[in-house]
Amino acid sequence: MPFSRNRLLAAAIFAGAMTMQAHAAVAPLELVGPVAEYKLYVNENIDKFVEDVRKFTDAVKAGKIDEARALFAPTRMSYERIEPVAELFSDLDASIDSRADDHEKAEKDPGFIGFHRIEYALWEEKSTDKVGDVADKLMADVLELQKRLAQLTFPPEKVVGGAAVLMEEVAATKISGEEDRYSHTDLWDFQANFEGSYHIFELLRPLVEREDKAFVEKTDGNFKTVFDTLAKYKTAEGGFQSYEKLTDRDRKILAGRVNTLAEDLSQMRGMLGLD
Amino acid sequence: MSGSHSDSREPSGSLSRRHWLKGAASLAGLGALPVHAQKPPADSQVTDAPHSLRTDERVSCWGEHQAGIVTPRPSAGMVASFDVIATDRKELERLLRGLSERIVFLTQGGEVPKLDPRLPPADSGIMGPRVQPDGLTITVSVGNSLFDDRFGLQDRKPRHLQRMSAHPNDALDAALCHGDLSIQFCSNTPDTNIHALRDIIKQFPDLLILLWKQEGTVPPVPEKPGVPPESARNFLGFRDGSANPNANDSTAMSQIVWVGPDDEGEPAWAHGGSYQAVRIIRNFVERWDRTPLQEQEAIFGRQRDSGAPLDGGKTEHDVPDFTKDPEGKKTPLDSHIRLANPRTKGSEKNLILRRPFNYSNGVTKSGQLEMGLLFICYQSNLEKGFITVQKRLDGEPLEEYIKPIGGGFFYALPGMRDKQDWLGRTLLSAA
Repeated sequence: MPFSRNRLLAAAIFAGAMTMQAHAAVAPLELVGPVAEYKLYVNENIDKFVEDVRKFTDAVKAGKIDEARALFAPTRMSYERIEPVAELFSDLDASIDSRADDHEKAEKDPGFIGFHRIEYALWEEKSTDKVGDVADKLMADVLELQKRLAQLTFPPEKVVGGAAVLMEEVAATKISGEEDRYSHTDLWDFQANFEGSYHIFELLRPLVEREDKAFVEKTDGNFKTVFDTLAKYKTAEGGFQSYEKLTDRDRKILAGRVNTLAEDLSQMRGMLGLD
Repeated sequence: MSGSHSDSREPSGSLSRRHWLKGAASLAGLGALPVHAQKPPADSQVTDAPHSLRTDERVSCWGEHQAGIVTPRPSAGMVASFDVIATDRKELERLLRGLSERIVFLTQGGEVPKLDPRLPPADSGIMGPRVQPDGLTITVSVGNSLFDDRFGLQDRKPRHLQRMSAHPNDALDAALCHGDLSIQFCSNTPDTNIHALRDIIKQFPDLLILLWKQEGTVPPVPEKPGVPPESARNFLGFRDGSANPNANDSTAMSQIVWVGPDDEGEPAWAHGGSYQAVRIIRNFVERWDRTPLQEQEAIFGRQRDSGAPLDGGKTEHDVPDFTKDPEGKKTPLDSHIRLANPRTKGSEKNLILRRPFNYSNGVTKSGQLEMGLLFICYQSNLEKGFITVQKRLDGEPLEEYIKPIGGGFFYALPGMRDKQDWLGRTLLSAA
């Protein structure tokens, strides 16, 4: 049982009160700092993303398959770190990052574009002949995303909630290795999702610590397990081994920690008194 | 089977058959049930919840044995299998103590705590603010893999517990097999089981990972005063459960179902538990429905409608006498019931207590129904029970119509003795 809810439940039962108030001692002003810092983090990531996508799509358009393959996973990382915010623009998320099974005719569907269409070209079709336009569109979408993010006001509940959303992403569809099914570079995405979630948690740490010290310790421990487990799969070049190398045991360790983080981080909004 | 064949049969055969069925059904309906019993009140609305008189049914979760084994089977069942991701014995104990607490709450019922609405709610809410027991039992069993080196329990494994191995007709799907822990949920409604499963998943994300689950149902039959209770039918249309041992006979149960001091080589901690065999057995129902009735009956060794054995008798309760039919002229030697229970001297040692549910999952890639039997049985000796019986059944004519695709062997832990006790206490505290 996640510790903090355990405590809440116990409190509810022993107090005999069937309605329980969350701590809510955090003043809205106290969130201004963390939210502003998070905005900087998002900006850094989107700038890096634009730069990386340019190199990646250039390689694709030049038919440099090996180079494009090498750039695929690292390019995605800055997107995966800020996925909860990037996904606020669902039209762009669909065209940048949808998977074959989001489309009726799967890989053959003309609506299947973006990163995973190019991934399919690089690893399955082993040719970039058909994806020149897809690369152009990807670059345009990413520039559009950068523009929209610059104008976005960050709602605190979205920022705080984002930590849990990243874990839900991993838990629901990534832990199975279905995200990067052609390249098996999923561990890069995992790393980035965890980094993004951990960054939010770090920004809020002083506030959360005041509310529930044990929660912070437990969450720190779970993140540490996750990063340690992933570190086992780092390569000498600073990347990650293929998802297929992930042992069943480690996959389960990751799945368990992801579920626990998703469950625990889902309480952070309430804990900080956010609606 | 070719498409043209079934197309050509459609106009003449199917229509007249449907017509006949409709007539028969309405006649039977008139005979069996008073018409007003089925009529809803005049002011009922389309989306009114159906009424149940059974939501308050409460099965005790305390005793020498776990509930859900000799408990009469309600109409909805589910088996969920998990991997335990606890990292040491202490965490395993936290899991088993925690599970026991949740089982008490879920099976006995009570108010769900109300939390601050800015937090996720304490449960899924699908039973409403007050959890009704609805006849729920939750039965926890442990798999062979729990006794590997992770928890230092290697020397405590029940004598016959083993990883389920494939029989010749099996096509086991790795994603539907085995597990460290199985939890069987049984209650009056599928939603009650789902609520309990979701509760457990939410409570123990750091200790359990769901591997697979299979739900099933049992069709209710009308009560017929003065007539002995009937076994429910499976998706092949036959009664499943005839000749099951009498679960009210505690002497028989202590021999057939419960592991105790008489079971040689069993660790003392396991006394009061039972071996659980789970099999997800797909039925090829389209093919079955295209098989002549007499062939179906010869395959099972029973009459379909009454359940009576083929050597005479009127009901499923009549006992066949195979000694008078040594050549299998009435009940074929390779019929299901004769192979499963030959009723020869010594074969009583192979008795098992069956507790199956029918499952229906969707459609296969070939456009056939994916349905069959969620077979569950309990026994005091897995070798002499399920494994021996299944070996006798290997190669039976019924195999043309069935395909086991999943399941596993588990050991149902001894019961929680009282409110201070917890499931698995004897296992973890054994010397």
